[in-house]
Amino acid sequence: MSSKQQVTFIITISVLVGLISNLVRTDAISWMAEPIEVVKNVNDVLLTLSEPEIREIDLEMAKSLHETGLLFVDARAEEYLSDGMIPGAIANDDVGLLSEQIEYLIGYEKGFVVYCSDDDCGSSKELAYELQDFGFMNIFVFKGGWKSWTDAGLEVETHE
Amino acid sequence: MNKLHPWLIVIIRILLGIIFIYASYDKILDPGKFARDIANYHLIPMGFENLIALIIPWLELFIGIGLVAGLMVDGASMISGGLMALFIIFILQATLRGFNIECGCGLKEGEMVGWNKILENLVFLGASYLVWQRQQKLFELFPKTPLSD
Repeated sequence: MSSKQQVTFIITISVLVGLISNLVRTDAISWMAEPIEVVKNVNDVLLTLSEPEIREIDLEMAKSLHETGLLFVDARAEEYLSDGMIPGAIANDDVGLLSEQIEYLIGYEKGFVVYCSDDDCGSSKELAYELQDFGFMNIFVFKGGWKSWTDAGLEVETHE
Repeated sequence: MNKLHPWLIVIIRILLGIIFIYASYDKILDPGKFARDIANYHLIPMGFENLIALIIPWLELFIGIGLVAGLMVDGASMISGGLMALFIIFILQATLRGFNIECGCGLKEGEMVGWNKILENLVFLGASYLVWQRQQKLFELFPKTPLSD
């Protein structure tokens, strides 16, 4: 069996097993990723959802939601928090403890916002999915996060 | 070309295989998370990250098994090298663009992209090359070869 045949065989088996396993597993993912829905209307945020959802918001919406008193969750690693946080935001590197904190503050149904350092950080989305697994129904990922908030000159809160 | 002792190559081959098997484990269990890790690199268009996240972990598992058990070592080491080159390109562009994202490498949870990950993958790329260019095929089950020259 030549090297080329071996490469073809290994890749073919991997593709087949990868695709077939997704057909039979209970937590299958869609074949193609779909973009997260962007929320433009504050009223959509306040709806009670029958299915858990993760949706995206921009800076303007984040500002509006912050003014309405919605809970903000900082997904950045602990070492970045000394730069400051969005006022009233909570953070905890331990997602289990964080979920208990959120549940204590607002319960599972009410919406809250998760943010990280900037447009490309990804940890806010990751935390949103982890928190969804804990049973939270209505999570918003603030695209742009800390950078867009501070670039806009909005108020921040620093802790000693 | 390859002056290292054949037994050292066997050890490198087996260690590389174990690393691949270990790296594949979490990704196979949670392809959704791996797909999001891939998406964070902002290189894959049109939502193809899900398909990639379904296939790459199995590829890692099979080449890992191949390297450990001595099955199709030529093919496994070539794919291993190809994957490492690909990972280096992904991590390098993310590092240069200043992305503060999780590597998604599967070796340690929460590891971020950066020069240390590039160096680590360069070492694995070198190991793949050494295995591919080995002069003696020791302890390889298929294709069947003599134990030593």
